[in-house]
Amino acid sequence: MPDRKMFWRIIRRLLSANRGRLFVILLALGAGAAITSALLNLQVDAKRRLTTEFRAFGANVIIAPRDSRGSTSATLHQSILQRIPTRIGSNEIFSVGLLYAVMDVAVDSHARPQDVPSKPTPVVLAGYSTDTYRKLLPSRTLESSQPTGWTDMSLCYAGSNVARRLNLHARDSLFIGYHLGSLYADVATQAQCFVQGIDSYGGPEDNHIFVNLELIQKLEHLQGRLSVVELRIPGTPQEISAYIASLQKSLPDADVRPIRQFTEGEAKIYNRISGILSATVALVLVLTALCVMAAMTNVAMERRNDVGLMKAIGGATRRVLRLFLAEAALLGLTGGVLGAAIGILLSMWLGKEVFGIAARPRLIVYPVSVALTIIVAIAGAYPLRRLANIRPAAVFRGEA
Amino acid sequence: MFLRLVADSFSRRPRHKLLTGAALALGMAVATAALSVSLDVGDRLASEFRSLGANLLVTPQADSLPLEIGGVDYRPVNAGAYLPESDLGKLKTIFWRNNIVGFAPIVEIQAHVLPMGGTWLETPLIGTWAEHEVSLPDGRTFSTGVTKTNPWWRIDGRWFSENTKECVVGTEFAMKNGVKIGDSLSIATGGVTKIPAPEKVTGILSSGGPEDNAVIVSLARAQVLADKPSQYRKLYVSALTKPEDDFGRRDPSTLAPADYDRWFCTPYISSIALQIRQVLPGADVRVIRRVADGEGAILTRVRTLLWLVTFASLLAAALAVGASSAASVIERRTEIGLMKALGAGSGTVGFLLAAEQLLLAFVGGGLGYALGILLARLVGQKIFGVAPGFSFLVLAVTIGLAAIVTLLGSAIPLRRASRYEPAPILRGE
Repeated sequence: MPDRKMFWRIIRRLLSANRGRLFVILLALGAGAAITSALLNLQVDAKRRLTTEFRAFGANVIIAPRDSRGSTSATLHQSILQRIPTRIGSNEIFSVGLLYAVMDVAVDSHARPQDVPSKPTPVVLAGYSTDTYRKLLPSRTLESSQPTGWTDMSLCYAGSNVARRLNLHARDSLFIGYHLGSLYADVATQAQCFVQGIDSYGGPEDNHIFVNLELIQKLEHLQGRLSVVELRIPGTPQEISAYIASLQKSLPDADVRPIRQFTEGEAKIYNRISGILSATVALVLVLTALCVMAAMTNVAMERRNDVGLMKAIGGATRRVLRLFLAEAALLGLTGGVLGAAIGILLSMWLGKEVFGIAARPRLIVYPVSVALTIIVAIAGAYPLRRLANIRPAAVFRGEA
Repeated sequence: MFLRLVADSFSRRPRHKLLTGAALALGMAVATAALSVSLDVGDRLASEFRSLGANLLVTPQADSLPLEIGGVDYRPVNAGAYLPESDLGKLKTIFWRNNIVGFAPIVEIQAHVLPMGGTWLETPLIGTWAEHEVSLPDGRTFSTGVTKTNPWWRIDGRWFSENTKECVVGTEFAMKNGVKIGDSLSIATGGVTKIPAPEKVTGILSSGGPEDNAVIVSLARAQVLADKPSQYRKLYVSALTKPEDDFGRRDPSTLAPADYDRWFCTPYISSIALQIRQVLPGADVRVIRRVADGEGAILTRVRTLLWLVTFASLLAAALAVGASSAASVIERRTEIGLMKALGAGSGTVGFLLAAEQLLLAFVGGGLGYALGILLARLVGQKIFGVAPGFSFLVLAVTIGLAAIVTLLGSAIPLRRASRYEPAPILRGE
């Protein structure tokens, strides 16, 4: 195949004719590819990461008994917790079941052990099924302690407002139940718990005391019941609403609803950020094309003689153009392969800087950015089109 | 002679200069757009997060412990303390008054509601401001209400107007009791002796929360019904804040005076809370951690990400401009050879080319700036709904960047050009 051999030989000569310019074009394409692939990788990753960052807002979906808004009498069965899937895609779903009850509480202060417990006060108690409630109801810990020595008391956490009203501190213990200290007191409806921490939520939770679910269920004679289930569903706004719909279908006896304050806010923020990232990728690609185009214009000017000669000795315009397109594509491939690799490494580092965890390299990003670079290189070779109009005679006469 | 050479170079090859100039202008346009969007976007993003609603909750300090489950307070009306409504204008007198985006006082009571053709229902009644003009101590007014603090509330129909017998009902309540817009309801509190004059339903509220099951009236109406004139029980405040860092998390009472001033003069959520506590006597101001902490965490991340993206587009713009100016120097080898053959020193040639590039940089940079501002407006409008304003910093950075990048881009080929031997170039080799 002498024809093919000749083709590549010419390409090689074209590429090595001007090292400086080759370097400029490769640099432009490589840098463009690097930035594009870094941004693309970061975009895919950042969107995913952003949805996991929304975890910080706590629960975004609640499951309540049907027709129960505004009343505490209706409850759900605890088995509902097992019916909620634990993952969606690769992301974990956090959930907690809560049971509320208003009961009397008396404080036994650890600082004044000889004192009798304080006067009983009615407080809302919230029984939690798992410790994930701390993730689902974001708070700031004001006081905390570890139980000293062996104790058979269950642990509880008080909201900041409760603590202030009752003058309660970590390490105190609480008596919980109905008719505390009165003659009617029923031992089966009383319990004691150790205050492990005091947290500030800034919401109604500040007025609650969080205790073990079983304890409340026992005191209230509501074994296996829950007032409400709170969930944090990760994902994009579409994924969340699709998930809510499917969950509602599988739990016909309950009411599954988004906490609109968070789902809508998250959707808005998510759309803004992904809009910015996409706009930047597009801009970078345009800039790279511009860069290559500027370099290629000069290539076109310089190659007038070569093209004139090729045409004079019988090269068809199409073959000549194919030659230059092959050159551009080759440049795009080289720049893309090198640049995209650098870009993906770059994005891993950037991901670490922004989100604290290295962005996972997405394999799909690599071919996509190489392909984009080749397209950009070929589009950038647009000025070479002018070579088709060259008339050999005019070139050889030295005319412009 | 020098000027003539420069002018000649521009007029002889206008097409080339135009292309290099265009590349420069476009590159700088992108740089301008990226810079002005991200300079402006910090504030924009913070206000974007306000769509999550209030981040501060004000309650009376002397209040008894609320027995609140699922948004319904089970205390009797008379239990607990109230705060005076007349103090609310002072919120806009604190140091960070401009960061207070909105606030809405709330009075919540259990009321008896009689829908048309129905029976009396025990229903939570919420009194608040929809859109209220608060008169400030300095004589101006400030428009605020739940539409500012709870932007996710959707209303079908319209909000009630103040000082009229109008109300809005929650969507669940409306569905359960067959209440439609335009219907009438009677609302009473305490022991009902006679049916009060009915209120007109002007809208149906969907909030996704406990309000869906309530009847909402204007604050003034609720105060009359609760017999607590000019008082409120809860106040939601939405404030623009700076994400809390380690310094912001420190206890202000342990700070040295200079540090305390710095802490006070930074819009941390905790310092705004303290300033509100100072103007509202008897109030307890708590940070809604769920909103504030989540907002802070994400805002910090997103800001870093945005600067990074801006930096990437600046880099791409610099490369584009550098490459095009490098290319424009490379192409002029013959000319440089001729100049040197005629006796010009490398310095003179370099100076001439640098002057040309700089001229191009200023013209292209200026054009690019104008174009970039348009682009920034477009992008800002599209993504954030608000166009970024003019910033002198961006203009300075753009022109400076254009000049530096073109010079740097030309420097490498120029250095090589200064080493050219004129003879082989002129021979066409």
